[in-house]
Amino acid sequence: MILVSLVLLIVPFVFSRSMVSLINEMLIMALAGCALNLMLGYGGMVSFGPAGLYAVGAYATAILLTKYGAPFFVAVLAAPVVAAIVGAIVGWFCVRRSAVYFALLTLAFAQIIWTIIFEWYDFTNGDNGIVSIPIPEVLYVGSNIYYFSLAIVAVCIFVLWRIVNSPFGATLQAIRENPMRTEFIAVPVRRYQLAAFVISSFFLGIAGSLFCVFAGSVFPDYAHWVKSTDMLVVCLLGGIYNFAGPIVGSAVYILISKVISKNTTYWMFFLGIIIVFLVLYMRNGMVGFAAEKISRLRNRLDAGKGEDES
Amino acid sequence: MIFETKHLTKKFGGLTATSDVSLQIGEGELVSIIGPNGAGKTTLFNLLTGHIKPDEGKVYFQGKEITGLPPHTISRMGIGRSFQRLNIFPRLTTFENVQVAVFSAQRKSHQLFTSAKKMVREETETILESVGLLDKRDMKGGLLAHGDQKRLELGIALSVHPSLLLLDEPTQGMSPQETIETTALIQKLVKERGLTLIFVEHDMSVVFGISDNIRVLHQGKVIFSGKPEEVKRNEEVQRIYLGEENK
Repeated sequence: MILVSLVLLIVPFVFSRSMVSLINEMLIMALAGCALNLMLGYGGMVSFGPAGLYAVGAYATAILLTKYGAPFFVAVLAAPVVAAIVGAIVGWFCVRRSAVYFALLTLAFAQIIWTIIFEWYDFTNGDNGIVSIPIPEVLYVGSNIYYFSLAIVAVCIFVLWRIVNSPFGATLQAIRENPMRTEFIAVPVRRYQLAAFVISSFFLGIAGSLFCVFAGSVFPDYAHWVKSTDMLVVCLLGGIYNFAGPIVGSAVYILISKVISKNTTYWMFFLGIIIVFLVLYMRNGMVGFAAEKISRLRNRLDAGKGEDES
Repeated sequence: MIFETKHLTKKFGGLTATSDVSLQIGEGELVSIIGPNGAGKTTLFNLLTGHIKPDEGKVYFQGKEITGLPPHTISRMGIGRSFQRLNIFPRLTTFENVQVAVFSAQRKSHQLFTSAKKMVREETETILESVGLLDKRDMKGGLLAHGDQKRLELGIALSVHPSLLLLDEPTQGMSPQETIETTALIQKLVKERGLTLIFVEHDMSVVFGISDNIRVLHQGKVIFSGKPEEVKRNEEVQRIYLGEENK
C-alpha cells in the first residue's frame, strides 16, 4: 500500500508527460471500476450502464462551467450529486428486476442518457461535444492536474473501501449470495440494492467529472455502451471479488489497449483474445488468481515448516 | 394463539396448491405439517412468510394481520424460517453468515462507514456455539458439509430473535446420526428460547419425536389434525401417506 502510494506520488518526476497522463487516465478508470464493482462484485448486480452515470457527472461539470459560468469547485462538487440523483431515478426502476432483466434495464437507461446527450443540441452540443471547457489555469501548471486526480481518486477509493467493509457492505454481499435468504433476516433487499445503485452512481459521477477536468472536453461517447463494457472489462480483468481488482484491472487494461493500439490497428482482436483467456483460466481475475496462488504457496510453506519441526 | 390462518387459498393456474387452510397454533406449540410430495407444504410455508400472496384468506401473527406483507417485514415481526433447499451465503464465512443476520437483528445493517470486522462478535459466536459451529467459524459456508450447512441456516434464522420458527425439512439429506443430533438440537433450542415451531418433515422419526401436534396436508387441504398417536391410528392418514412400511 505505502509503496504504491509512494510510486504514485513520484510519478511526474520519473515518467514522461504522456506516461503521466496515461496514469492519470488509469486513476480515473480505477475509480469508475471500483464504483461499478460496488454493485457488480459486492452487490451481485450486473450493470451494463455505468457509463451513463459517468457521463452525467462529466456533463454536469462541463455544462456548469460553460453555460452557467459556475465556480470550478461548484461544478466539480455538483457532478456526483447530479449523478446520484439520476442514479436514484434509474435505480428505482432497475432494482425491481433481477439478473438479466436488471442488466437490460441498466443498458436501456444508459442508452436513453446517451440519446439525450446526443440529440439535445441546445443543452449538450450534441455530437460536437463540449470543448475548451474553462479549467482553472493552475491545474495546468506542472503536474498539478495529475495530483488533483490522484488526491480525489485516493479519497474516493478509501471511502469505497470503508463502505465495502462496513455492515452495509456485508449485507450487500449477503444479498449477492442469496437475496431471498437476506430478505428473511428482515433486510429490505430492494432498498439496499437501490442504496448501492445510488452510491455507485455518486462515485461514477466523480470519475466522469474528473475525466472532464482532465480532458478539458466531453463527448456523447462517454455515455456509450462501449464505455460501459470498458468498465466491466476493467472489473473482470482485475477480479470482481477483490477490492483491488478494478484498480489493477484499470492499469492493465489501459496499458494493453495503448500498447497494442500503438503497434496494430487490430487491438480489439488482441483484447478479445485476452478476455477469452481470462474468463477461461482466471475466473476470479488477475487479483483473484494471484491471491489464490499466494495462499496456496503459504499453505505449502506452512506444511513444510510443520514437517521440519516434527 | 400466536399464529392463525383463515381460509387460505392459493391457485397456480388450474392447480389449487392450497385450499381453504385454517390453522390455529398456540404459543409454544410444536407443530409438524406432513403430507405426500406435492401436497402443498412448501407453498403453505411461502404463504405464511409472505413470499407469495394468497388468492383468498388471511394470516394472523400475534393477533395482527400479516397477509400480503413483504417477507422482510414479517421477518422483523418475529418469524424466522429455514428453506427446503439450502439457503445460506456460500461465499461468506460461517461467522459472516451469522454476523450479517445479527447486524439486521440489531438494526446495524445500514451503517456505511464503521468497520464490520469486530462488530457483534460475542452475539455471533454465541449463536455459532449454540448450533455447534464455532470451531468452523472461518470456513466458507459453501464448503461446509451438508448437515453443517443446515445447522448454519438454523443459526441464521435464530439470529433475528424469532418467536415463531418455520423449518422446511430441517433434516433433509442428513445421515441417520446427523438426523438424531439435529432433532435433539432443535428440541433444545426451541425449549431454551421458548419458541413456537412449525415444521415440514418427511422423516417420521423426527415428526413423532418432536411434535405436540400434527397437521396432515393432502392436495392442498388439511385432512387431519391431531396428536402423534392419533395420526398413527388414523386409517385415512395411513392410507394416503404413511404407506405400508409404517403400519
